[in-house]
Amino acid sequence: MAKLCTGALAYKALNGLVCVYKPPCVTIKQVQHTIITHLCRDLNALPNGPQEKRVEIIGATNEPMSVCLVPNYADNPLACGPRFINEDFRCSWATHLGFFSSGVLLLGINEGTKLTYLLNTARLPRAYKLHGQLGKATDTYFWNGKTVERSMHKHVSREKIDRVVAHMQAAHQKAMYELSGVHMDSQTMYDLAVEGPIRPANSKIPVLYGIKCVHFDSPNFTLEIHAVNEYEKYLWTLVHDLGVQLKTSAHCTGVQCIRQGKFDLEYALLRKHWKLEYIVDNMNRCRKVLEENENLMRPISAVLSI
Amino acid sequence: MAICKLFIRILKIHNAIPARSMCGYLQVEPGESEICSISYEKPTNVLQRTHKDLSDVTPFLSNTFNLAAYVNHSKTLQNLIDLNVNISKFEKKPYIIEKLLKLDFEKNMKSHIVFLSDYVNMEQMGEFFTKNPMIFCEHLEDLKTRVNYLESKRFSDSEIKRIISKNPYWLNFSTIRIDRRFGFYQQYFDLSGKNVRCLATTQPKLITYNLHHVKCNTFAIKEEMGFKDEEIKLLLLNKPKLWMINQRMLIERFNYIHNIMKIPHTTILENAGVLLSRVFRIKQRHLFLQSLGRAQYDPKKVNYVPIKALVEKSDVEFCNNFAKCDIDDFNMFLKTL
Repeated sequence: MAKLCTGALAYKALNGLVCVYKPPCVTIKQVQHTIITHLCRDLNALPNGPQEKRVEIIGATNEPMSVCLVPNYADNPLACGPRFINEDFRCSWATHLGFFSSGVLLLGINEGTKLTYLLNTARLPRAYKLHGQLGKATDTYFWNGKTVERSMHKHVSREKIDRVVAHMQAAHQKAMYELSGVHMDSQTMYDLAVEGPIRPANSKIPVLYGIKCVHFDSPNFTLEIHAVNEYEKYLWTLVHDLGVQLKTSAHCTGVQCIRQGKFDLEYALLRKHWKLEYIVDNMNRCRKVLEENENLMRPISAVLSI
Repeated sequence: MAICKLFIRILKIHNAIPARSMCGYLQVEPGESEICSISYEKPTNVLQRTHKDLSDVTPFLSNTFNLAAYVNHSKTLQNLIDLNVNISKFEKKPYIIEKLLKLDFEKNMKSHIVFLSDYVNMEQMGEFFTKNPMIFCEHLEDLKTRVNYLESKRFSDSEIKRIISKNPYWLNFSTIRIDRRFGFYQQYFDLSGKNVRCLATTQPKLITYNLHHVKCNTFAIKEEMGFKDEEIKLLLLNKPKLWMINQRMLIERFNYIHNIMKIPHTTILENAGVLLSRVFRIKQRHLFLQSLGRAQYDPKKVNYVPIKALVEKSDVEFCNNFAKCDIDDFNMFLKTL
């Protein structure tokens, strides 16, 4: 772990990407605020160099005057306030995570805000774990909503879920080719399609690359989803649609982002570790990942880069 | 942060900062009233040599956003900084600064500091005045009466010291108000005189707290949580802080502990501290114990985990003593929530 000598030097080193674990039921704004506040607290606790002196010329003007060096009270943190305040930091996220979602969240601090912009436009695929429950449908498609329907779910088996999920994936694969921005019948399209999954040209319409049921214990089930351009509410509706196609009803009980590009849960910093030394350490690890994988930020082709 | 503009009229603060005049052309004389008379002297040649002492001629202090601009010119502010008062905290409240700058250290402040040094430790002095700078605007006689009032209510010396140092705002409240508040707590919670004294000593801030908030939290504890009057009294004397936290948070915590973890009222009453911990802390440890099959809070059965273990101590100690596993397992679990 890096040794930090003074606050000013540490502040200059704080430029880059951090990968944090966003807990559920906390907004991204709150996460940003907590991290920045903790950074300020830790930076202010570091030694900050000696207090400045000021030169004063005193005495009557019609006689020889004396020059003396006195401590500058205006430089005292008690008078001018703490050295670092929240406004000194810029902070932005690469892709948004909703209030109820948890998981990997990439934040750019100071110069790192440029990196988050590049990561956002590079449209990194994200992997989600989607927890759902059969037998109940709600008006928001999530556990917090009002129940609108209850139904039997005894007939649902693992095989049936797998079949429906495979069908949903196939339907989305067609959409992936349509959203690539290339004509379907062209040679370019063929060349692209040979190489593998394609990134969408548009940033608005969600594209799903893979859906898989990883856990089934009636009535609870877990789906693993790889997607681009998705958002919280869209994932909830997926679970609702799955329920309808299974001839029952379902609602979502949790959304967890487990991977974004190369950044998986192993990199993510837990809430109790949102402190200066861990953040600097995490920033270095993230920088290494970005250096090793140039195509994460500046992809050269429309093929999905992981 | 909303930048709040300090509008400090220099002319009003002549007590703290010596009067200044502008190079013979424009002389500003701070008068008795707020309105100052501006008189124009006969214009003279600026380049003309003079043998007069001009050391009292200094540039005019302009409006400022913070007090750091004035601090090198004002002995009062310098003294406050030497006392460890964080004057940067006053920036957001211009009305405090306007009052504070009009005061003179020797005349208005020294006697207050000497008086308070009997009750507040020297190390806490800076913090005390940071919290409550307006105490300099109170009359010294009033402060003495307020301390005498506490003595008359048979508070011991150490108790009075604790009350004043723990709650800097206490001395700003008149004896009538404090008396009314003592009466309120005594009547509302049916406390004896001794109990009121105990309450005022353990949590002096509660006495001067917003009474509407206290009533709301009492409603939450009594009606929504369902504690009995006797139990409320015990809670008040053990954990008065419960009455100072957000009502919604309090209900949320109780709801999780009582309805989801199935902890009965009696256990919560014995360990009232759990209601002061944020809900996510209790939640993550409870869910972890549950995933290990160790969430057993009944002292009569084997593998008992005290409810206190969910809120106290660091995560490492919690894992070693109660979850009986490695801290890495706990961290891994946290990444699945």
